[in-house]
Amino acid sequence: MISVQLFFYFGIILAIVGSLATAWGPGVKDPIVRTFNTEIASIGVCLVLLSYNHVLALLTLVATTVVITLILFRAIIRLEEMGADV
Amino acid sequence: MVFIPSYVPAEFLSMYLPAIYGALIIGFIGSMAIALNRRDIHILILTDLIGLAMIIIVSAVGTDLAEALILPGLVVELAETLAISEILLSREMHKIEANPRANLTKSTSLFPQPFALDMEIMTTAPNFIALVLIAYGIFLTGFTGGAVAGGGIVLYALSKKARGLPVLILDGIAGVSGIAWCLWIIGFALFFVAPNLWILSLFLAACGLLLKVASKVGLIGLLMREDIDKE
Repeated sequence: MISVQLFFYFGIILAIVGSLATAWGPGVKDPIVRTFNTEIASIGVCLVLLSYNHVLALLTLVATTVVITLILFRAIIRLEEMGADV
Repeated sequence: MVFIPSYVPAEFLSMYLPAIYGALIIGFIGSMAIALNRRDIHILILTDLIGLAMIIIVSAVGTDLAEALILPGLVVELAETLAISEILLSREMHKIEANPRANLTKSTSLFPQPFALDMEIMTTAPNFIALVLIAYGIFLTGFTGGAVAGGGIVLYALSKKARGLPVLILDGIAGVSGIAWCLWIIGFALFFVAPNLWILSLFLAACGLLLKVASKVGLIGLLMREDIDKE
């Protein structure tokens, strides 16, 4: 039997590593790479919510993460097309 | 003295401090990165990290209260990201318009290629599936029911070329939203004024939330159709 705490601590570590990767990780000069690195941290938060049995919160987090990623991609693509400094 | 309800499991209590410290570390990393960055879009992406730290801190409570607080937090974060990205885009457009030599190119959407949904299920099944989804959503009520019924509306809106029923035009979204708020507020006030009517106020609030979420999800579906159905 795998204990709940294993999921919890793995989630916390994954969230910290993901946020470090988003802040100073490799290739973060490109905003798209930075957006992808945010996903690592959000998977960690998903594991934390899973260990706490928060089903609705987990589903909403997954849905909003997808929508936020789409919004950010749209903003990045439009800004690059307009020739802004991204 | 700290009041801890007796139904919080012991495992959650032992996970409380690690969760708070982990969330503080994540929030610190995010704030430092925001302070060190100059470009607006990077700051907007890094704001997500602060939101994730907020979610961990709230979820450390470990009861239903945490779940009830996480949902509005996530939705507010989503709306905030959308609003700030629009502001960034419009500011950049103003900069380009102020410069007489630069000219605006034709704006593109998220799907650069024409993206026509030519699946068979989009022409034969949507009436029935949308009806089942909306009926099941109304039966569920509340947040989940709103999401399910909204899924039905999205499916119908995406495949509006279906034969039979006329095209659904959701022009009165604002009116539906106002009715939903009224139901919710009446339920909330009734809960305190007449506590023995708690089941009536619960259902008022649940139906208000159903209307609210379903209309919002349907609106997102209608906005997506502008992007998807272009030739």
